[in-house]
Amino acid sequence: MADRDCALALARLYEFLDHELADADADSIRAHLEACEPCLDAYGVEEHIRSLVRRCCTSQRAPEHLRVRVTQVTTTTIIVRPTPAG
Amino acid sequence: MTIPTADEAMTAEPGAVDRANETDEQRVARFERDALVFLDQLYGAALRMTRNPTDAEDLVQDTYVKAFASFHQFTPGTNLKAWLYRILTNSFINTYRKKQRQPQLSGGDQIEDWQLARAEAHTPEGLRTAEMEALDRMPDSAVTEAMNALSPDFRLAVYLADVEGFSYKEIAGIMGTPIGTVMSRLNRGRNQLRVALADFARENGLTQRGGRNG
Repeated sequence: MADRDCALALARLYEFLDHELADADADSIRAHLEACEPCLDAYGVEEHIRSLVRRCCTSQRAPEHLRVRVTQVTTTTIIVRPTPAG
Repeated sequence: MTIPTADEAMTAEPGAVDRANETDEQRVARFERDALVFLDQLYGAALRMTRNPTDAEDLVQDTYVKAFASFHQFTPGTNLKAWLYRILTNSFINTYRKKQRQPQLSGGDQIEDWQLARAEAHTPEGLRTAEMEALDRMPDSAVTEAMNALSPDFRLAVYLADVEGFSYKEIAGIMGTPIGTVMSRLNRGRNQLRVALADFARENGLTQRGGRNG
C-alpha cells in the first residue's frame, strides 16, 4: 500500500516539519521518507521554502526613531489602576 | 503566629517577582529589561501584517503602550513573547485591519480539502525537485511579495510558525482560534505560498524546464 503511505506522509508533512507529531508517528514518517524519494522531495521543498521565508522575514530591524519612541513608553504612559478594596 | 497564605508562600520563592509589592520603578525596569528586547521581532511581524513601515511603526508603538499599561497583569515566568504577540495581533485586528478593509475569510476550514490537494500534488515527474533548485535562485523580494499576497490570517499563521517558531498551541493562543484552525491556515497559506513561488520561478525562467507542468 505505497500510495496510502504516501498520502499519510504528505497529509502530516507540516505537522512533522513543525515538530508537532508524537515520536512514534514521526518515526514512521521518517522510515517512509527513507524509502520514498518523491515524498522526500516534497518534504525537502517545504523545508526549503520555510528557510527561505525565515531568511527573508528576519532581516528586518526596527528603525532607530521607533526604538526611541518605544523606550519612552514607560515614561509617557499613565497607568490608572483601581486601588485594592478594603 | 500568622500562617502565610499560599500566595505569599509562592512569591517568597527565590527569584520570583513579588508583583503586589513591586514599586513602579521596579516594574518599569522589569518591562524595559524583559519586553523591549522583542522590538525587532515585533516590528518584523508588524511589517508583515500591515505591509507598510508607517503602519508597522504605529502598530508596534500601540502594542508597547498597551503591554506596559497591563504589564502588572502579566504573570512573570510565563511566555512574555507570546503575550506580546497576542497584544500585537489584537491591536492589528482592532485597528489596522478595519482600516485596510481586508476581505474577511470565508468559513469552511476543512482539513480534508488540503489533505486531498496535497496528495494530488505528489507527482512522479520530479517537478518538485526542479522547484527546489529554482528556490535557490529566488530573490528575497519574490518571497516577501508572495507572503504579502496571502490573506492576513494565512500570512500571520505562516509567519508565527516559520519565522518565530511558535508551536501550534502558542499560535492558537495568539490568534485566539482553535488549534485545528491554526493547522488549516498553515496548510492553506503554505500551499498558496509554494504555488506562488513555483509560478514566479517558471515565469522568470528559474526552472530548468520551460513552460508549465500540469
